[in-house]
Amino acid sequence: MGVSCVFSYPVPEGRSGAQVVDILQKQVETMGGSKTGTFYVDCETYQSVMLNPPKTLHILHNSEYPASCFAILDSGATLVADTLFIALMSNLKNIYQAWKGAKIESKGNRFQLADFILKIGSVSLAGSFKGILLEVEYCPCIVASECWAMLKELLQSLIGNIAESPPSALKKKKWMKSTPQQPQCCSTWTISTTLGKLPP
Amino acid sequence: MAAPSVNISVEAAIEHQIQEVRYDGQEIYLAPLSMSENLSKLAHKIDFYKDESEEKGKPTSEGEKDTDEEKVLAPFQPSLWPWDSVRNKLKNSLTEISVLYDVLNIVKEKHYMVTDPVSQDPPELKASLQMLAKKKSLVAAAQLLSTGAERLKRVQVEMTSNTQDNFLMELLKLRRNWRLKKVHNTILGELSYKSAGSRFWQGGTFEVLKTSDLAADGEVASRKSSLDVSIPSELEGVAYIQVEVKTVSDLMDLTSATLKMPAGLGTVSADAYWQQKLEVAQNVLFCKELFAQLAREAVQVKGTTPHMVVGNQILTNVFPGIQLSIVLCHYTGKEKKVNLAPHKLEHNHVLEHSLHQLLREVHDRNLNYSPPHPANAMLGMSKRRRLAGPRAMSRSELVEMVQSESLLEQILKQTKHAVLRIRTMHVIDQLAVSIQDPQICAHWSCLNSSLESSVRITITSYCYENCKTLLVLLIGIDTIKVVMKDGRVCTLLFENSELRDLIQWQICQHHAQSIQSLAKMQGWQVLSAIINSGHGDMEAYGTTTDVMLASPKGNVILAFHSNPVSGNKLAIKKLDPSLDAHISPAVTASKWASLAGDFQEINLNQLEGRNLVGKIDMLMARLTSS
Repeated sequence: MGVSCVFSYPVPEGRSGAQVVDILQKQVETMGGSKTGTFYVDCETYQSVMLNPPKTLHILHNSEYPASCFAILDSGATLVADTLFIALMSNLKNIYQAWKGAKIESKGNRFQLADFILKIGSVSLAGSFKGILLEVEYCPCIVASECWAMLKELLQSLIGNIAESPPSALKKKKWMKSTPQQPQCCSTWTISTTLGKLPP
Repeated sequence: MAAPSVNISVEAAIEHQIQEVRYDGQEIYLAPLSMSENLSKLAHKIDFYKDESEEKGKPTSEGEKDTDEEKVLAPFQPSLWPWDSVRNKLKNSLTEISVLYDVLNIVKEKHYMVTDPVSQDPPELKASLQMLAKKKSLVAAAQLLSTGAERLKRVQVEMTSNTQDNFLMELLKLRRNWRLKKVHNTILGELSYKSAGSRFWQGGTFEVLKTSDLAADGEVASRKSSLDVSIPSELEGVAYIQVEVKTVSDLMDLTSATLKMPAGLGTVSADAYWQQKLEVAQNVLFCKELFAQLAREAVQVKGTTPHMVVGNQILTNVFPGIQLSIVLCHYTGKEKKVNLAPHKLEHNHVLEHSLHQLLREVHDRNLNYSPPHPANAMLGMSKRRRLAGPRAMSRSELVEMVQSESLLEQILKQTKHAVLRIRTMHVIDQLAVSIQDPQICAHWSCLNSSLESSVRITITSYCYENCKTLLVLLIGIDTIKVVMKDGRVCTLLFENSELRDLIQWQICQHHAQSIQSLAKMQGWQVLSAIINSGHGDMEAYGTTTDVMLASPKGNVILAFHSNPVSGNKLAIKKLDPSLDAHISPAVTASKWASLAGDFQEINLNQLEGRNLVGKIDMLMARLTSS
């Protein structure tokens, strides 16, 4: 469970998402990575009914942590819980209502390259393709500031200039130990800010 | 015509009562009562005992009323006061209780009145009367006891007799221990472990019968009870699991194992008491389940060591050359009696008991789920699994958690540990017996489990116990972890020779340590002490330990060399006094002049002393003064 960061890879004009994903995968394989399976991350959004201004709650699942689900409020507070948490949410229908058609998911292949785990996922919202997310995890280290240089090197060889600066979620907690919530936070912020799916 | 008329006298009725009729016919009348007399007469009729509160002021008024009115009132009273009798009774009881309370108060409080026994004259003791009285009371007591004894005897006789009541009593006893249910006309019972958590396919249903129905006419009822049970045919007989750990030559592989025939087991006679029959049948079922589980696991294992399942026997190699065999011995009494060579059965009772315990643990886990028992989540998750969600455990960690050990694996581990422990014991004992010089003492820890034990080995020289070498051996499943006195830790495998080497090396080190401590006591200087020295010839095994000492005056140097194979060697170098004269002024002390020189070996056997350390002690003492 090391340090991970998530980047959004823009799809250049004239190419389809699947093609770009293919290219990225081939690049990883030439670098020496081996496919170890698939991954799936999805995010559901709930909105508070009675409060003004309304609060938004995102609930994420990650196939890497099958027994847990993660919750993030728009204020930045995070929660790691058992999967039964969703059952709890259905009981809170009157307070937090699910946003219909707002389930966003990222799925793709998972590659292992020595100590790194790379995940190339194509993001889709209600079936329609939205973009590409790349997640890189460096397992041995848990402090972000110590290994950012190594991550940057790897990422630059893969996606170039996009990985100039660390993602915002990582910047805030550079000196702290990373937790499983960290990649989820990264995913959410990346999804919501760069793809333009901002809460109303 | 008219008869002569009779005189009819008409007189008024007598108003007054006749008091007396004199002899002459004169009647004396009672004087009529005056008003006051009448009043007093009526007053006498009043019962002042009645409730006074009601009759406050009434007595006089009642007395004034006419008797007629009173009579009129009297029949009304019962209807006015239907609770009259109740009220009276309550009043009486209240009075009684008040009196009792007063008496008790007097007796207890002793405030205003005190109870004092009335002194009486002692009664005259008439011996004969007393004797008669005592005799009478004894006779009465004897009567009671004899009637009681008679009754008990009768009950006893009834109990032993074979009657209908006895069957019911036996049935009651049966119900206390076993589960029974009535199906149509038959009573069926259950002897399987299903209610205790077993998931074995074979059930154990037995039938309860009355022996009076089965007995033929004229047959003397010599049975102990009037209740009998009929066991299903597959559970008849006696069974047990035989666990044996034996050494086989390395060449013998699993395929050439011999099929075991059950040795002569006792059978259960048909006349046995139902409890015994049922217990034996339940044991048969349990052994069958245990063996079925082990066989299933043995076949399914994907580990490194293959297991062999042949008929009723499971064979597996524990260590190279050591085999574990688990046999289900089920003797039903119908097999031909095979005359086996009476070989000694090395049945390992501890492992058999462990197997039973392990299966019971499996049963228990099937039934008892660890708390909490939530209504909305899955039951039976361990605490770690329940926290896996909030702790965001990764997939690999979850997979690790799911894997649990099978019965066969657990018993294999226990066997390995048992074998290792026994081997270690033998090695230490053998060494302790064969090596006399430093004494080896082993203290086994009382706290041990089926998978771990520990022993502390102390090596001391007799009479020089201030210097002792300690070793702690932690015996695990496959390996022995050795912790030495100076904190070094090394891991040994199951080979005997490794442990032997280690202990022998420790003995050499012990000698070296003892000599160093002697040097400290006697004022000798330790020039060098090497634990793993590379000097000397190469030995077959073992590490050499060297110590070099110089006497206080510096004129004698002792060199001690110890090795497990070649033994202990002691060499001495004495300063040549003749050299004194030839030293140049640059040399400050005579010892620097004799740095080079030959060592002479000392024959340790001819030295005086009980053991090596003692001998060297004497030698050093002798050389100090020279």
